[in-house]
Amino acid sequence: MEFWRRAANPWGQDVLIGIAWDLMWAAVIVGVVFVAGHALYVKLLTPKQQPEAQIDAGPSAAGIPERIVRHTGAARAFHWLMSVAMFVLLITAFFPVVGIQFPWVTIHWIAGLGLLLTVLYHIWHSIVKQDVWSMWIDMKELKEGTRELGRFLKRSGESRAKAGKYPLDHKLYHHAIAVVTTLAIVTGLLMMFRVDTPLWARNPYILSDQLWGVVYVVHGISGVALITLVMAHVYFAVRPEKWWITLSMINGFIGRKDYLEHHDPERWAVKDGTPTAVSGTPGSAPLREGIPQNKRSHH
Amino acid sequence: MAVMRDMIPAFELFQPASVEEAVALLDQHGDDSWVLAGGLDSFDWFKDRIKRPKAVVDLGGVERLRGIRSAEDGIEIGAMTTLTEVASHSDIRESYGLLAAAANQVATPQIRNQGTLGGNVSQDTRCWYYRSGWPCYRADGNICYASAPNAMNREHCIFGANRCVAVNQSDTAGALIALDAQMVVQNAKRERIISADDFFIGPGTDITRMTVLRPGDLLTAIRIPSTWAGADFFWEKVEDRKSWDFALVSVARTMRVTNGTIAQSRVVVNGVAPYPMRLDAVEAAVRGQPVSEETAQVGGEAAVRRAKTLRHNDYKVPLMRNLVRRALRGEAA
Amino acid sequence: MALIGQNIIPPDLVAKVTGRAKFAEDFRAEGMVFAKLLLSPMPHARVRSVDAAEALAMPGVLGILRADELPEVNPQSEAALTDEPLYEGEPVLAVAAVDETTAADAVERIKVDFEPLPFVLDPLQSLHPKGPNARTEGNYFFRSREGSEFRTHKWTEEDFAAAGEGRLPMGEPLSEWTVGDTDAGLADADLVLDETLVHQTLTHHPMEPRSAMAYWQNGKLYIHTSTQSTAQTQAGVARALDLEMDNVVLIGEYCGGGFGSKIRGSTIQVVPALLSRKIGRPVMLRITRYEESYIGRSRPGFQARVKMGFRSDGRATAIDLYIVEDGGAYGSGDFGTAGAVASLSYQPLNMRLRGVSLYTNTPPRSAQRGPGGAQIVGMLEPIIDKAARELGIDRLELRRINAPDNDGWVGPNRGALTSAYVREALDQGKEQFGWEEKSRLSGQRNGTKVTGVGIGLSPFVGGSSGYDGLVVLRPDGKLYIHQGIGNLGTHSIADTARAAADVLGLPWERCEVVWGDTSKHLPWTSIQAGSQTTHAHTRANHAAAMDARRKLQEIAARELGGSPRDYVTSGGNIHHRSNRSQRMTFGYAARRAIQLGGRYDGHELADDLNAMTVASAQALAGEGLIGAAKDTYSHEGGTWSFVVGFALVELDVETGHVDLKEYTAVADCGRVLHPRSLAAQLHGGGVQGMGIARSQKWVFDPKWGVSFAKRFYTARPPGILDVPLEMQWGAVGIPDPQTPVGAKGIGEPPVGAGSAAIASAISDALGGQCLCRTPLTTDVILAALEGREQPYGPLEIHV
Repeated sequence: MEFWRRAANPWGQDVLIGIAWDLMWAAVIVGVVFVAGHALYVKLLTPKQQPEAQIDAGPSAAGIPERIVRHTGAARAFHWLMSVAMFVLLITAFFPVVGIQFPWVTIHWIAGLGLLLTVLYHIWHSIVKQDVWSMWIDMKELKEGTRELGRFLKRSGESRAKAGKYPLDHKLYHHAIAVVTTLAIVTGLLMMFRVDTPLWARNPYILSDQLWGVVYVVHGISGVALITLVMAHVYFAVRPEKWWITLSMINGFIGRKDYLEHHDPERWAVKDGTPTAVSGTPGSAPLREGIPQNKRSHH
Repeated sequence: MAVMRDMIPAFELFQPASVEEAVALLDQHGDDSWVLAGGLDSFDWFKDRIKRPKAVVDLGGVERLRGIRSAEDGIEIGAMTTLTEVASHSDIRESYGLLAAAANQVATPQIRNQGTLGGNVSQDTRCWYYRSGWPCYRADGNICYASAPNAMNREHCIFGANRCVAVNQSDTAGALIALDAQMVVQNAKRERIISADDFFIGPGTDITRMTVLRPGDLLTAIRIPSTWAGADFFWEKVEDRKSWDFALVSVARTMRVTNGTIAQSRVVVNGVAPYPMRLDAVEAAVRGQPVSEETAQVGGEAAVRRAKTLRHNDYKVPLMRNLVRRALRGEAA
Repeated sequence: MALIGQNIIPPDLVAKVTGRAKFAEDFRAEGMVFAKLLLSPMPHARVRSVDAAEALAMPGVLGILRADELPEVNPQSEAALTDEPLYEGEPVLAVAAVDETTAADAVERIKVDFEPLPFVLDPLQSLHPKGPNARTEGNYFFRSREGSEFRTHKWTEEDFAAAGEGRLPMGEPLSEWTVGDTDAGLADADLVLDETLVHQTLTHHPMEPRSAMAYWQNGKLYIHTSTQSTAQTQAGVARALDLEMDNVVLIGEYCGGGFGSKIRGSTIQVVPALLSRKIGRPVMLRITRYEESYIGRSRPGFQARVKMGFRSDGRATAIDLYIVEDGGAYGSGDFGTAGAVASLSYQPLNMRLRGVSLYTNTPPRSAQRGPGGAQIVGMLEPIIDKAARELGIDRLELRRINAPDNDGWVGPNRGALTSAYVREALDQGKEQFGWEEKSRLSGQRNGTKVTGVGIGLSPFVGGSSGYDGLVVLRPDGKLYIHQGIGNLGTHSIADTARAAADVLGLPWERCEVVWGDTSKHLPWTSIQAGSQTTHAHTRANHAAAMDARRKLQEIAARELGGSPRDYVTSGGNIHHRSNRSQRMTFGYAARRAIQLGGRYDGHELADDLNAMTVASAQALAGEGLIGAAKDTYSHEGGTWSFVVGFALVELDVETGHVDLKEYTAVADCGRVLHPRSLAAQLHGGGVQGMGIARSQKWVFDPKWGVSFAKRFYTARPPGILDVPLEMQWGAVGIPDPQTPVGAKGIGEPPVGAGSAAIASAISDALGGQCLCRTPLTTDVILAALEGREQPYGPLEIHV
C-alpha cells in the first residue's frame, strides 16, 4: 500500500504532495470492518438489555418530565447543516477519485466555507449559549468508560454506567471529529490559495514546497479519517438501540425513559424538561438560562 | 533521479493493422498504453521522458482510419487523415471550407503532412510548466505554477480556469465544433458518438485530460453533418509567427444569413480556455440581428464578458473581442 | 580583378545540398561510444554529493567524468563541467556508454544531491542594496593590472527611488567614458528625448548544435567539433587541455552556424576528449536542441536609458547612454561596443556612456552576430524617428545629417575610420526602396491595417589585419590556398581565397581551397568571427599570393632571362610582359621551385610568420612553390561596415499582428567580394534581426529561475513565412582605401539593420509611438493599440 504521493519539484527535489488514495480505501475498509464487526458482535455475542419497564418504573423517575430537551433548535440546525456540508465535502472530495468525474472544486470549497461557518457558529453557540463544559471528559468518566469497554468486550453483563448529557463515547467522537475537522478546515483554507476563489488572490508560493506537502497530507489524512468517522457515526445513528438519540437530533428531545436509562441525573440535571446543570467539572460551570443553581441543587 | 531530455526511452511498439486489433491492444494495456498518430505531440512527450508509456500503439498501419468518405449526411474523415489531406480535399474545401482553412494553418507544411486530424484534436496543452514535467495539477500534482503571481502565463487562459489555466491549442477543434462535428470513439466495449462540443473537457471535469478520451478509447473518425455545408465561414488564427506556432487566439465561425440578418451562427474561440470555447452568449446575442458593425460590436463585447486575466495575458481580452467582432462582420475566411 | 566581385559556386555547396557534407556528429570511429550530460536543475547550487553507483553498474556504461577531473580554469571562467552550477542547465557531469540511450538511462539513475543557493535573474535585482548575487563571491569580476577579483556592486535605495516609475535607475556605473561635455550638449539642445529601453536576451540557436567527437592515437587528440574557426580552435582546444598544438588534430569542415557562439568551438568540446582519454574509446557527444538552449550561448540583454539632444536643424548635440547589461553566469560586456556603435551612427557632438554588467544565474552570454551593435541599433533607431517627427525633419534626412563619413570617429578615443560611405548607402537605399513614395504610405489605413515604414542604420566592425596566408603552387599547375579560417556557411573560405587567385590571374577552376582539417597544414588566421575574415584574409591571401608571384617572377627570370619585374602571370602561365611566348606554366614553375628549394619551396621562410604557419609551411616544403606571408599592409584606423535596412509593414490594429511586406538592405562594405554571398549575409542577418525585433524570446520563471524558451517553438526565431519572399539588396561598392582588395566584413551589421528597420516601421505604424522594448510581439503591440496596461513592466526582462 502506498501512503504518500511524492513528486520531484521543478528543481528535482523530492517533495511530499499528498496522501496516496490507497489511504482512502483503507479508511473505507476500516469503517466497514468496524461497522460490520460491531454489528456482528452486538448481534451474536452481547447479552440482552434489561427490560424497559424496570427502568421507567425505577425510583429515580420521580419528577422527571415526559420530554427532556436534548438539542435546541439551533443546535439541531447546526448539526444538520454541518452534516450536509460534510457529505458534500466528502462526495466532492472522493467521488472524482473513484472515477465519478464532475467539476468539484468550487462546490468543495464553498461547502468547506459552509462547514467553517457552521463550526464557527457552533463554537460561538456552545460557548455563549450552552455549557461548553458539558463536553468535558473527567477522570471519573474515563475510568467508567474503561470499565464499560471491558464489560462490553468481556460480555460481562449490562452497562451500569450512566452518562451526563453526553455519553463518553459521544464526547470522544465529538472531540475526534472536532480535531479532524479543524485540521481539514485550516488546511483547506490554506489550499484555497491554490485555486481561484473570491477570498484571496492565488499564490501557490505562500508556503514552501515542504510545508505545502504537510498541508496536503494533513488535509488528506483528515479527509479520509472523516470517511471512517462519518461511517461510524451514520452506523450508530441507524442502530435501533440508538434511535432515541437519532430522533432527538431530529425533534430535539428524549423521553423520560431514555433519560433515566442512559443518563445520570447527577451529571445531567433536568427540571421541567429543561436541562440545567450539566457540567462534569466541579466548580467550573457557568450556569445558564438565568437559573442560579448549585450543581447538586436538584438533590 | 536526474533529469534527462531529448532522448526517447524504450517502449514496446505495437503496429496493429485494424481498428479491432488497436482497440484490443489499448484495452489490454490500459493505463500503460499510448495512442500514436502523427507523433507530433507524442514524440515531444517521449523525447522529454515525461510521459513514459509502456505500450505504444502506432495507428500508422490501420488503413481504415485514413481517408475522407462521403457519409449519409455529410462526410466522414478518418482520424488518421493528415491535415494536408484535410486542407486540400476538394469536398472539404467546397462545403466545409472552415475546416480546410483551420487545418491549413496548423504549424508548418511538414507537420501538416505528418500530423493527423485525430491527433490535432486530441493534442495535449502546451503550457510550458506542464510540458517541463513539473508536478502540476494536470500532471497529477497539486499546484498550478502558471497562475502564480509572477508566473509566465502570456499564453494561458482567460476563461474556464479551474486550478489549471492551460489552454487548448488545437486549430481544428474550433472549426469542428462550429461545424457540429461528431466524434466516433471506439473502445473494447462499444462505439460512442460524441458531439465535438462534448468531446473537449475542462479541468473541472478531469484536470489530467483535454478530451473525453480515456485509456482504452480510440478516436476513429470525425463526421461532419451537412448542417453547415456551404454556409458562410470565418476562420482566423493569431500567432506570434506565421508558421510553426500555436494560436494565441483563434476563432471559427459558421453563419447563415437570411435577408441580411443572422439566422443561425456558431462561434467558437480557442486558445482562451482549457477547451475550445463555444460562445453561446454571442450566438444568442446576434441571432436575428443584421450583419452589421453594431452587431459585431455587441457580439465582441458579449464574448469577453467575465474574462478573468492572469499577470501577462490581458491582451487576450481585446484580441478575442476583436476577432469575434471580425468574425461577425462577415469577412471572408 | 577577374574573380573578386563575381558570383561563384563555393566548393562546399554540392556536399551541403546533397547531404554528403559531414558535420561533427556525422563522424564515426572504430569503437566509438556516446556520452550524455547531466544538467543542473537549479539556477544556482552546490553539488553536495554524487552517487553514480547504480548507473555505473548498468551494462554498457563505461565511465563518468566529473568536474574535478577537468583541467583547472580561472575562478571567474567557465569550465565544461562544474560542481557549483550557476544556471539551470549547466552541465555537471558526463556519462559514457556503448550507446546513447544507455548513457541517457544511466544519467537518470545518478543521484546528485544539490544544495540550492540564492539566485538572481535580473541585474537590477542584484543591484538592489539587499539583492542577491549570482555568485557566492560577488556579482561582477573586477579586472585590473594590480589584481583581479570578484566584487559586489550595489546601488542605494535612493538611486532606485530617484529614477521614478518605469525609468531606469542610474546608480554608480562600473564603466564610463565621455567625449566632450554631455550635460552641456543636452542643455544646448532644442529637443531632448529621455527613454527607458529593454532589449531581450536571446539564444544563438544555430541549426547545428555544438556536438563533438574525440579520440586519441599515440598521444595525439583527434577532435571533430562544430566550430566557426579552424586554426584558432585548434589552439583553443590545445590550451583548454594543456596540450601542444602538434598534439591536436582538429577536423571541422562544415559548421551549421555559430553566430558568435562557436568562435573557438565550444566549452563542452573538451568533455568527449577527456572522457575518451579516461575510458580509452572514441567518444561522441551529440548536443541536443534542449542542451543547446542552455550551453549554446546567448546575446546579453540590456536595460538602458538614453537621453539624446538635437539642435533644431537635426544635428545630434549629445547622447547620454546608460546600459545595465545582463552578463549571465560568466559575465559579458558588449555594452561597450553598443556605446561605440551609437557614437559612430550619430556622430554626436558630445557623448557619455555609462554601464554596469553583472552576473545573473542565466545561461552564458557571448558575442552574437553584431554583439552590442545589434541591440543598440534596434533600440535607438525608433528614438531617432521620434526625434525626426518632433523636429519636423524627414527620418532618412535626420540620419543623413548625423551620419559619419571618411572623417568620422568612433568610441571614447574618437578613433578614425578607414572609410565610411553611409550617406551614399542612405541615398542608394532611398532610391532602391523608394523611400519618398513609401513614406507617403506611412500611417495610411486600409481596413484594419495600417502601413508603417521604417529605416535602420547599423554599423559594425568590418575587419582586422596582421594574419598569415599560405598558398602552394603544385606541379599539377593548381594553386592550393590553405585556409585556417572556418567554414560556418558564409563562403569565406572560398571568397577570401579569390584574392590569391586574382593576384596570380588564375582561373577559379585551377584553385583548390584547403580547409577544415589542421592535419592539412593551415596558416595562422583570425578567428572566424567579428566580421574579420573578409578583410583579414583577403589581405593575408593577397600577401601570400604576392609572395608566390614574386617567386614565380624570379624563377621565370632565372630560366628565361631578364628581370623578375618583366614577368607577369595570366591563365596559369607566367610570361614576359612584352613577349608572351617567353613563358612557362605554373606547373613547370612549381617543379622548378622544388628543384631550387630554399625559400622557393618552403624550406626557408620569412621571419615574421606565426609558428603555426611556419610549421604548416615546413610540412608542405618541397611539394611545390610556396607562398607564405604575413599581412603587413597598412591599416590605419578602424574598419567599419554599414548596412541601412528599409522596411514596410502592415500592422493589423485589431490583432496587433505585423506583416512585413518589403525589405531592402543596402551596404557599405567596400568592394563587393561575392554578390550572391553578400545578398545572403544582408538578408540572412536581416532576418535574424527581424526575429529579434518581433518574436524571438528568452523566458524564465522568476520563482524557480528555470528557462522555458528552450525549444524552437517556444524560443520563436523567425520562420521563412515571417519575411517577404523577395527582399532587395544593394551595395555602395566603393573600395576601402586601407586594404588591397578593398573589401570590408559584412557578417554582422545586417542584424541590427533588420531589427531596427522593423522596430522603426512598427513604431511608424503606431503613429510614432516607441514601445521601447524587444521583441515587439502581438501582445505588446495590441496593449498599446488598445490603451491597456502593457503585459510586462517597463524594465521587466526574461519574459
